Amino acid sequence: MTYQISKNPMTTIPAGRLLCLPSLLKWGAFLALFLFPAFALAQDGATAAQAVGYRDIPGLGSRNIIWVIAQQHLLLAGFVLGVPLFAWVCEIVGWRTKEARYDKLAKEFTKLLTSAYATTALFGGILLFLLIAFYPKLMAYLTDVFFPSFLVYSMLFLLETATLYLYWYGWDAMQGNKKGFHIFLGLMLNVFAFFIMVIPNAWATFQASPVVIAEGTALERAWAATWNPTWWPVNIHRFIANIVLGGFICGAYAGVRYLLAVSREEREHYDWMGYVGNFIGVFGMLPLPFAGYWLMREIYQYNQQMGITLMGGFLAWLFILQAMLIGVLFLGANYYFWLGISHRIPGSEQSYKKPILAMLVVLMVCLGVWMTPHSLVASLEEARKMGGTHHPLLGVFGVMSAKMTVSNLMILVTFMSFIMYWRAGKQETAGWAKVAKAIMGAMLVIAGVAVIVLGVWGYFVPAIVRINYFSVAQVLIVLFIMVTFTPLTGLLMKSAKTTTEMVWGQMPIRAGYSLVLNAVMVILLMSLMGYARSSSRVHWHIYGVMRDTSEYAYSPALGYAAAFMSLNTFVFCLLVAFIFWVASMGDKGKGQPKPEAEAKVPVGDMTPAMAGGSPSSSYSQKG
Amino acid sequence: MSEVALLQIIGLCVVGVGILILLFIKSMFVRVVGFVVIVLGSFSLIALGVPQMASLPPAIETFDIASVKTPDDLASIGQKIFFSKGQCALCHSIGPSESARCPDLAGIGAKLAPEFLYESLTSPQSYIYLDFRHEGVPKEYPARMPYINKNPIALSKQEIYSVIAFLQKMSGEPISIKVEDILEPESEETEVASVSVHGHE
Repeated sequence: MTYQISKNPMTTIPAGRLLCLPSLLKWGAFLALFLFPAFALAQDGATAAQAVGYRDIPGLGSRNIIWVIAQQHLLLAGFVLGVPLFAWVCEIVGWRTKEARYDKLAKEFTKLLTSAYATTALFGGILLFLLIAFYPKLMAYLTDVFFPSFLVYSMLFLLETATLYLYWYGWDAMQGNKKGFHIFLGLMLNVFAFFIMVIPNAWATFQASPVVIAEGTALERAWAATWNPTWWPVNIHRFIANIVLGGFICGAYAGVRYLLAVSREEREHYDWMGYVGNFIGVFGMLPLPFAGYWLMREIYQYNQQMGITLMGGFLAWLFILQAMLIGVLFLGANYYFWLGISHRIPGSEQSYKKPILAMLVVLMVCLGVWMTPHSLVASLEEARKMGGTHHPLLGVFGVMSAKMTVSNLMILVTFMSFIMYWRAGKQETAGWAKVAKAIMGAMLVIAGVAVIVLGVWGYFVPAIVRINYFSVAQVLIVLFIMVTFTPLTGLLMKSAKTTTEMVWGQMPIRAGYSLVLNAVMVILLMSLMGYARSSSRVHWHIYGVMRDTSEYAYSPALGYAAAFMSLNTFVFCLLVAFIFWVASMGDKGKGQPKPEAEAKVPVGDMTPAMAGGSPSSSYSQKG
Repeated sequence: MSEVALLQIIGLCVVGVGILILLFIKSMFVRVVGFVVIVLGSFSLIALGVPQMASLPPAIETFDIASVKTPDDLASIGQKIFFSKGQCALCHSIGPSESARCPDLAGIGAKLAPEFLYESLTSPQSYIYLDFRHEGVPKEYPARMPYINKNPIALSKQEIYSVIAFLQKMSGEPISIKVEDILEPESEETEVASVSVHGHE
């Protein structure tokens, strides 16, 4: 027997009156003026600072301003915290294999990181000032709870900045026998970056899933608040998402540079860099839904009402949009792999045509299922004809059991796309290759069937059994395939001979666009889910503890929010383009590639590396 | 024209600008910008095409303690405080719950005397039961009971009495807190907000 208070805190209404279009339009003017309206700050009556609950900028709206600035800061921060990891891994690969091209790539990643770092900090500073100005009461409360962590955060920021300076400016100086120390700096950069991420996560997750704070020292209170139920799920989810964001943005950067390239050398380099960026993005994207599932599970466990608000309340349609964005991202990433097979490996187009078509069909069907809404908004007459709000056939696909199944299948297909690309143009020579391939084929079929069987079975068991056992089993099956196939394929490829040389710089223009599309999808996804997390708190600054009593205590409708997300994404893309353009000015100063150098570039490469090979070593050594 | 329709027109214009860029502009960078604009405009249009719902906050409820006439009124106020200002439901459940970080309070009003409940709320470390039920091995809970009469929760004496009245009523006990007990002028008006927490069936 459980007790539940009956009143629902969330009232859903048609949103026409909440769309606040004039506010959206005013954003154009605001962005042009860019945050100099301090003189226009309107205090809410009280003169004593501590008595002020909220401040606002009339017309623009304090929440809208925070929305834009926080989004820019978070996206930049995601990039800045994600890039060091794979820059460092690339550097290690270059160090161990003695291949300068990896070192050059790592340095290029770090160049982008260094350029974006200051802007990230700048937006962080602006965000802090605005939060203190607009939400003094909330910030006073959070400061009271988290003060010790502010100090730790500041210290970490100093350490991160110093390490980044040393890492970037010491790159050329720390070659040879000093490389080990440089690698160590890269490690420390990542360690500091990780903790710089997890500390603010504590503040944000405390707002969503607060715990009661008992009496104690400042440190004890901060520690208790930090260890709230969604802290670690968010930490893991963001850590992986940052890698995905960083990978796809680097991929988009390479894609644009590839489209703008004037020399063959540039085309080859940025084609390869685009491949690596896409690979990193896909690599992170595969486990990301599992982390998201864990986070959502923790949210449900923490507070079922919050979970229902997210998945079944007014945000339910948001998850249809999320499915669409993820679906396009999966399609974009796979499409790029398939273009790579067709254009980088001459002659393989025909032999891979059928598997690619089959994969495309599976992905499209899965996407269709994933995007099927749980219930439809239908008129009374339509509902009568359907026999309820659930469509008699499509309604079956709208439930979590179906969605979990197709998301696992999409991950499996994408993983197999990667494996197919890896193996393309190569002939295994190992004696056990045939057996290994047969086993892998059988495992793949069994895994696919098992995921589907568990999905169908999930309709006939209680939800708790499906959530706790079936869904977890589906995830484990897919993970098992990934962790067994990767090393097995690596072993097979180690002794394989290259039958067709990989040609870089021959990708069609649409490959560059697909890299840009992937980055835009990831940015939109992060914006969308940020809105979801914020809206799940409904009218609370701190859920159940501090109520939002401002005029912005409502959550706007999805259409208005999406327009804002698009605006944020556009601004972020322009910002990143500007930062990268400034960063590349230094390269131009060093001069364009010489024509004779271009002539020496041999087409193709025989490197069967997991990172897809690269332009030839003679080219790369120049880096 | 509704605001949704206006936003849709803007979205269409944005997509149109992107298409024009791709059709007539040769600069590759501008073409990429045009492509991004088309993608973002299309996304907005799709989002504007799904049902538009927003969530409004519920009205802030205020109550005057002086208006309390019966013990049931008191329990009703206590229920609201339990789920809002008191933050009790952040950790405690009423009925079995996997997510609860403190003991399940179902039936506590029948098990413990109101004086003991008051002491547990205002001096939680004075006398510790790991599990008030005393059934089997005491269970360890991750959260520590805060002082409810001190910051940040800082319930008044009347509010604590109200919560105890609610706990008694919820346990099927007669409410032993008297209306006269709370009619001291400590806090005239208290703000609470309704919130529903924990709903395992």
